[in-house]
Amino acid sequence: MAEKRITIQATRFDPEKDSVPRLQSYDIPFSDESMVVLDGLNYIKAHVDGSLSYRWSCRMGICGSCGMMVNGTPKLTCNAFLRDYWPRPVIVEPLSNFPIIRDLVIDMDGFMRKLKSIKPWIIRKQEIPLAAGEHKQVTEQIDEFKQFSQCINCMLCYAACPVYGLNDEFLGPAAIALARRYNLDSRDQGLKERLPLIANSEGIWECSFVGECSVVCPKGVDPAKAIQQTKLDTTMRFVLPYGNRE
Amino acid sequence: MSAAEIETPAHSATRTYRAPMGATWWTRKGHYFWYVVREFTAVPLALWLLWFLVEIKRAGAGAVGYAPHSSTPFVIFSVICLLFALYHSVTFLSLAGVIIHPRVMGRPVPPRLIVLLMFGQWAVASIVIAAVLIGFGR
Repeated sequence: MAEKRITIQATRFDPEKDSVPRLQSYDIPFSDESMVVLDGLNYIKAHVDGSLSYRWSCRMGICGSCGMMVNGTPKLTCNAFLRDYWPRPVIVEPLSNFPIIRDLVIDMDGFMRKLKSIKPWIIRKQEIPLAAGEHKQVTEQIDEFKQFSQCINCMLCYAACPVYGLNDEFLGPAAIALARRYNLDSRDQGLKERLPLIANSEGIWECSFVGECSVVCPKGVDPAKAIQQTKLDTTMRFVLPYGNRE
Repeated sequence: MSAAEIETPAHSATRTYRAPMGATWWTRKGHYFWYVVREFTAVPLALWLLWFLVEIKRAGAGAVGYAPHSSTPFVIFSVICLLFALYHSVTFLSLAGVIIHPRVMGRPVPPRLIVLLMFGQWAVASIVIAAVLIGFGR
């Protein structure tokens, strides 16, 4: 019986030689139904072409490193099964809307700067001394922000967002969702520090609610929800007199 | 290739490539397509309102001059605009459950109930407006 095989077409781009990226085809064995796209790339790297560059780490949908475009959709390649594409070829490209450094590797510096800018840590007006014990929370308070804390910074939402594609100054889905995670945290008092950044024209108001960010999120974070709820909250803060209270 | 496509970030010596976003990006996926349709529903509605203003102006010459319902193009365009308005309203109200997050007695209101209330208010408002219009029309 002939060996089952699958074709992976991967983006190749060498900044020293290429002016534009190109697709290169690799025909590899598809022997195991549990093979994911990342396994295919690892096979290519190990047995066919060691020069293929891409990011990956945990192989279990936790680290968020292996996000790529798989047949035009942003996916974690460790969570995209080849059996869902076979016998058609699988086209693997770097995440859309980001500059490409080499092959499937994108420049994520801009994203990292945005992430840091929203101050994703608990801000206190006055720190509680360690001797006073931990900041206690009840389950209902944790439920307020838990969903938004599941983000693994895989950037699939940015690759799916046409608004970010058209304007890379847009703060973007993950950063705003993370800002909301901290703004909803009962231990946090940093809302006023984050507001100038998230409630401006390059923040929540740039979003026109395409909603694809929430569709592609591998962790069910729903960044579109975070953005629209923040729009409503900031509007209420502006409109209602009591809204400006801390 | 434009200069914008090949970039050398100031902080590194690495040359990068940024793919341009084509004007047809919204045709790549059904989700994008229906998003653009939703956003553009305002255009036919605005055109309809302008057309309606013209029809109202004709009423200045007396009741005889006002007969938009006897204009086939106006009726056809009105039906098309109604479909756009319905699509926009349904998508808008369906999303209300995601956006509005009130608490009653300290508990969050289920999104489905919010959507149901929205559609209920929409139906009541439509009935009231229709009743007023029909009432004044008689």
